[in-house]
Amino acid sequence: MNIQDNYQINKKNIFFSENENIRNHREKLMNIFENDRFDKKNNESLKNINLENFLDFKYKYLVPEETSVINNNHDNSYSIVSVNGQCTSFKDDKIEITKILEEDYNDFSKNNTIEKNDHFVNLNSLFLNCGFKIVVKKNNNIKIKISNIVADDDLTIFQKNNIICEEGSSLNLIEEYENKNNSTSNILNVIKLEKSSQLNHFLIQDNSPSHNLIITSHSSCKKDSSYTQKIYNFSEGYVRNFHFSELLEINSAADLQGIFFLKDNNISNNKTFVKHLAEDCKSNQVYKGILNDRSKATYFSNTHVDQVAQKTEGYQLSKGILLSDNASYFSKPELKIYADDVKCSHGSTIGPIDENAIFYLRSRGMSKIAATKLLISSFINEELSSIDEEQISEIIQKKLVRYLSKVK
Amino acid sequence: MNSETLNTLDNYSKNKYKYGFVTDIDNEKPKKGLNEDTIKFISFKKNEPEWMLDWRLKAFSKWKKMKEPKWANLNFPEIDYQDIYYYSAPKGFDKKPKDLSEVDPKLIETYNKLGIPLEEQKVLAGVAVDVVFDSVSVATTYKGELEKLGIIFCSIGEAIQKHPHLIKKYLGSVIPAGDHSFSALNSAVFTDGSFVYIPEGVKCPMELSTYFRINAENTGQFERTLIIADKGSYVSYLEGCTAPKRDDNQLHAANVELIALEDAEIKYSTVQNWYPGDEDGKGGIYNFVTKRGLCAGKNSKISWTQVETGSAITWKYPSCILKGDNSIGEFYSVAITNNFQQADTGTKMTHIGKNTKSKIISKGISLGKSQNTYRGEVSFLRKADRARNYTQCDSLLVGNKCGAHTVPYIDSKNNTAVIEHEASTSKINEDQLYYCRQRGLSHEEAVSLIVNGFCKQVLQELPMEFAVEAQKLVSISLEGSVG
Repeated sequence: MNIQDNYQINKKNIFFSENENIRNHREKLMNIFENDRFDKKNNESLKNINLENFLDFKYKYLVPEETSVINNNHDNSYSIVSVNGQCTSFKDDKIEITKILEEDYNDFSKNNTIEKNDHFVNLNSLFLNCGFKIVVKKNNNIKIKISNIVADDDLTIFQKNNIICEEGSSLNLIEEYENKNNSTSNILNVIKLEKSSQLNHFLIQDNSPSHNLIITSHSSCKKDSSYTQKIYNFSEGYVRNFHFSELLEINSAADLQGIFFLKDNNISNNKTFVKHLAEDCKSNQVYKGILNDRSKATYFSNTHVDQVAQKTEGYQLSKGILLSDNASYFSKPELKIYADDVKCSHGSTIGPIDENAIFYLRSRGMSKIAATKLLISSFINEELSSIDEEQISEIIQKKLVRYLSKVK
Repeated sequence: MNSETLNTLDNYSKNKYKYGFVTDIDNEKPKKGLNEDTIKFISFKKNEPEWMLDWRLKAFSKWKKMKEPKWANLNFPEIDYQDIYYYSAPKGFDKKPKDLSEVDPKLIETYNKLGIPLEEQKVLAGVAVDVVFDSVSVATTYKGELEKLGIIFCSIGEAIQKHPHLIKKYLGSVIPAGDHSFSALNSAVFTDGSFVYIPEGVKCPMELSTYFRINAENTGQFERTLIIADKGSYVSYLEGCTAPKRDDNQLHAANVELIALEDAEIKYSTVQNWYPGDEDGKGGIYNFVTKRGLCAGKNSKISWTQVETGSAITWKYPSCILKGDNSIGEFYSVAITNNFQQADTGTKMTHIGKNTKSKIISKGISLGKSQNTYRGEVSFLRKADRARNYTQCDSLLVGNKCGAHTVPYIDSKNNTAVIEHEASTSKINEDQLYYCRQRGLSHEEAVSLIVNGFCKQVLQELPMEFAVEAQKLVSISLEGSVG
């Protein structure tokens, strides 16, 4: 079924379809889909995508029966189970969780940082059917773990979350995506960091081959705030991780890291975009990928330094290892710099595992496979050892062992 | 930044273009505008065989259906292709002069002013020169000497007459007429350029050189250069360009094709110094150049070196297709932009054969209100086993109103290929400046010294004759009073 039909039939199930402004906005988006030629070469959001599946899908959504929020008060930590992108409302003196509101829809559609021609974001706005909003109140230091569960087959989830860290707060947010059904999740996270706040955002992705996960996130940092994102992608299905970061005020920082482990026919698209709009801001982007079999990955990164953003430090690094001669990796690290007092750099490498290193290990009695595995582990060791949450570190180690066991 | 630095920068951005004079010489032009008649006129003037005219018309019909490529980070008003003269020749060039004594002395004077060794005395310098003035080739020196070795070095118009088999075989083989709109335009209306053929096993004993100059007003220059290096041969080729100061923008859309067969090596060096426009961004050359080399045979090598200081707009990506096994592609570039100049330049390395290697060194320097972009693509195709690439692109920003951008595209489809890319952007190091000042250099000299050091890696790749000129040019581009 095409996008137009899907929309007309399911209109009443989609969020905010009574609101006139939103309806008009959606009409415009619909026009984009009708008139676009879907130029795969120049549209970063379409790279490696199967256009047929993308333009022709069947919309299906079920309201979940049960979701939960558990508060472990003694150590300031919360566990949330979100089913089909929904979450029960919850409120105490530290956090507040509510459904997504109409005004949140608009506040995003005005945002220019996310490119207008990102079709997945447009789809998300068109079919929005779930999502929640988390507010961390002033000067609180808490930890939230969210398990994102999709409870049925063939669902199309279009979710939008708002996360707001109020002044002086600090949040460790751990999100897990482990799904085994044939659903598609298209998630948009809008993250706001107020003055002196801090967010450490971990995303652990481990879906089965039939599950597609599309995550687009946008963070904006006010004075002295910092946003850290760490993505660990072990998924066997299609995964897209796009992140846009805006450093709005002085002395804010963004640190974006991602590691992906691909095999079989897996495809992963990644993008990071950091916009420096004020003085004395720092950004760092590190992406590493290991590609086996016939897998494909893309990584687009972009550091934009505005004319006023003097004393900027912006670093970028991407590294890829191709384990098989059918794997392919495309990377495009961009720098756009309009200020002169900056320190910016990027580096990008793609290649096989170093043969000399393998030789060294083999001459000390290791088998070729053991040597390869050791070198893969060491390739990402820096990122793994920097995880300060023990709980996450253990999970990642286990998944890594599982991935390595399939490497031949 | 202290006030002295600001003063120095001010001086820099007020640099003067010393090749901006106009030669007052009678020109012969067709009507303005681009249509089949214009193309027929050019073809008639050049006395071309019919197959060449057909080739041009075919390219023209392709061009009509095409749009300009839009990827570049450039900002300029739309080009009105109907407001340009597509052919301009100094009067009396219907027949090519036999030797220099028949050439209009004004022309000779022009080239003397530009410091080009046209005359016998300067032939001692050992550079064979083909000079292109607007649309026609004026003179080619040193021809006899080269002929003894079997080297063909002449204008492309002459080659079409005398060596049609080579032209038919190679023209458009690396850059097809329908590649993009500028290549189609050039294929339709190209007027002159150089043709070089180096026979098997010959090492060309001297540097071959072409000098391009746009003189007439509202004229586009569309030259076409074709260099073929047969098995085991070697050639080093130099290209230089200037244009007079004019308030209007002038169009320059050249196509350069290089073909290196087995074990052959081509070294192509450019010093591009087209008129960049004045301090307010008025006038200047629009430079849309397609340069592409094909390493067709095993062990062949193509090396591009460019120093870009001119043009209001530079759109240029000298590239290498590494088809033969063990072939090597190199790209060394310095691009300096000042005032309102915009440059979007870089390279494209396509690795097809096994064991192919490429190296990219790019240095961008932005001053004034200019925008300088490096755009490069490195791709390893599936069969490019053990291919290797190293890319380094550094940018230097002088002043806070300019921009420096890096846009690399990296694509690997082979798991034995290794690719490395690094880039950095920064301003002139205050510590280095301080050190130079302490040792008695003026602020200007210090900046010039640092910039020259920054470019050294590229400048040292230039042939001797050019290296000195290029170093001067870099200083002039920065110039207040430093020479």
